[in-house]
Amino acid sequence: MVPALAQPAVLPPSTHQFAEVIHRLEAGGAMLPDSPENLMQIIGLYKAYAVPMDFYWRDLLYIAERVFLKPFPFFKYFLPQSYLDLLNHYAGDSADLRIWRGEATAHPQLRAFIERGETRKMPRLFHHLWHDRINMEFAEACMRSMLWHGRDMGMGKFDAFLDSEEYRTNADQAIRAFWAKNPVMLGLYKLFPEMFLEQCRQMSYTANLGLFWEVMAPVFFEMSDRYDEGTITSVPEAMDFLVNGIFAIAGRPIYHHVYIEDKCYEIIPKSKGFMWLYEAALPYVEAVFYRTAPFRGTKSYNAQQREVPEDQKDFHYGILFADVFPVGTAGIPPTQLMQDMLHFLPDYLVDYYQQHCRGEDDTLIQLGISFQRSMYCVTSAVIQALRCALLYPLDDPNPRHLQANRDFFEAQLDRLTRPEARLRDIQSPQYR
Amino acid sequence: MADIVDTAIASPDFTTLVAAVQATGLVEALKADGPLTVFAPVDSAFAKLPEGTITTLLQNIPQLSRILTYHVVSGQWTQAQLQAHPNLTSLEESPLTADFTDGFTIKNATVITPDLVVDNGIIHIIDTVLLMG
Repeated sequence: MVPALAQPAVLPPSTHQFAEVIHRLEAGGAMLPDSPENLMQIIGLYKAYAVPMDFYWRDLLYIAERVFLKPFPFFKYFLPQSYLDLLNHYAGDSADLRIWRGEATAHPQLRAFIERGETRKMPRLFHHLWHDRINMEFAEACMRSMLWHGRDMGMGKFDAFLDSEEYRTNADQAIRAFWAKNPVMLGLYKLFPEMFLEQCRQMSYTANLGLFWEVMAPVFFEMSDRYDEGTITSVPEAMDFLVNGIFAIAGRPIYHHVYIEDKCYEIIPKSKGFMWLYEAALPYVEAVFYRTAPFRGTKSYNAQQREVPEDQKDFHYGILFADVFPVGTAGIPPTQLMQDMLHFLPDYLVDYYQQHCRGEDDTLIQLGISFQRSMYCVTSAVIQALRCALLYPLDDPNPRHLQANRDFFEAQLDRLTRPEARLRDIQSPQYR
Repeated sequence: MADIVDTAIASPDFTTLVAAVQATGLVEALKADGPLTVFAPVDSAFAKLPEGTITTLLQNIPQLSRILTYHVVSGQWTQAQLQAHPNLTSLEESPLTADFTDGFTIKNATVITPDLVVDNGIIHIIDTVLLMG
C-alpha cells in the first residue's frame, strides 16, 4: 500500500497591509515581483555593482592592512598592483569555494577603467585629482555606518569584541609597531590612547566590510553570467542563488590583520571564530540597507522637530527607503555609487534607460531605482535565509510552523510600512 | 556506560557530527566529566544545509567549532527539567530555547529521541542543525 502523502498545510490569507508580498514570500518568491523586466534590471545592476565592488573590497583591505593609522593617507585610494592581483577566495582556480567561474584577480573592466577612466589614459594622480576614478568614499561611508550603528545593534560578536581587553592588547601591539620609528606619534599615543584605539576600530570595520564584499563581488559576477547564459530566468531563481550563496559562505572568517614591515599583527585573529554571516552580512544589511544616516545635501532634517529619530534603531535612511534623487553635488554616498555603476552598465540596460523617462539625462536616477529593486531582492534573500536557518521549510506540513514563518515575514515587512519605504513603489513597473 | 563522543561514534546516524567534532578538536571537551547536554543533529540534518555550507565550515575550524558549541549546554538537562526551565545558554554563549507546545523542540529543531543518558551528560537527538540568531 502506498502511504498517504502529508498534505501541505494551508493558512488563511494574511491581513497584513502587504499581504500580497507576504503570500509571495510564502510561495518562495521575493519582495520584488517576478517579471522579465525586473529580472533584467536587477541582474544588470548586480553586474554594474560588482565591478566597482571588486575595487572597494581590495582597497578596503589595503587600507585596513597597510595604510592603517597613517595620519595623512593621501594615497589610500591608489591601489598597488599587489592588491589588484590579490586572489579572491571565491573566484578563479585557487578559490576556497569557487562561486564565480571567472578570474580571481581584479576584473578586466576595472583595470581598464583605472587606466583610462571616463577621460583618457594619463597618470593616476591626474585621474584622482579630476575625480575620474572609483568613488571609494562610498565604501568608506558604508563602513562608517557599520561602525556607528554597530554599537547598539547587538548583532554578532564583532562590535563587542572591539571593547574587550584582548582587542586593546592586540591593537596596542600593532599601534606601537606601526609608530616604532616615530617618537612624536608614540608620544601622542601615550597622551591620547583612546583616539588611536578608535581609529583602529574603524580600521577593523574597514577590514570587515572588505571581507564581506570580497564574497559579494563574485556572487554578483556569477549571477550576471548565468543570466547571460539563460540559466537564471526569474527573480525567485536569482534570489535562491543568493540564499544558497549566503549559506555556503556563512562560515567564512572575519578578521583584521595588519602588516607592518611584512610582519603580520593579528588584531582580530581568525581564531576568534567570527563569521561572515553573523559578524559582517547581517550587521551590513541592518546598518546600510535599513539605517545609515541622513546624507547631507539630499534633504534637510530638523532634529528639533523630531524629523530625525531619537533612537538609532529607528533610523531609516538606507537604500530600502531612499528617495533616489542624485542632486549632483559632490560627496553624497548614493550618488557616488550610482556614478560608479554608470561606468559598467551592461548594454541592455543602457538601451533600456534610453527608452524611458528622460533617457540619458536621468540615467543616474533610473539606475538608482533599479539598484533599489536589486537590493530589495538581496534583502528578500536575507529574509528567506534567516527563515530557513531559524524557522521552517515553506512546505512544512505543520500549520503551527507555517504560522511561525508568517509571523516572521510579517514582522520583517512591518519595518517597511513607514511612508518612506519603497516596498510599495517597487511593486509597480512604472516606478522608475 | 559510554561518554558523549563514544556514544556518537557507535551510532550510524552521527557520521557528519563525529567528523566535525574530530576536525575541531572538541573530542577532549566532550569526553570531560561535564555534565553536558548535547543537542546532536543526525546526518540528514547536515544534509539539509545548502551545498557548500559544510565545505566552508570544514575549511575554517574556529567557525565550525562555534557552530558545534552552540549545540552544547553546561549541565544535565533532561526533557522534564527543560519543561520547567526552557531558556538555556549554550557554550557558544547564545541563547537556546526549548518548547513543548508541539512536541519537544529546541528552536526550530524537533527532538527525535530525548534523554539519551550517557556517562558525562545527556544527548537529545535532533533533526535540524541549530544556527545562532
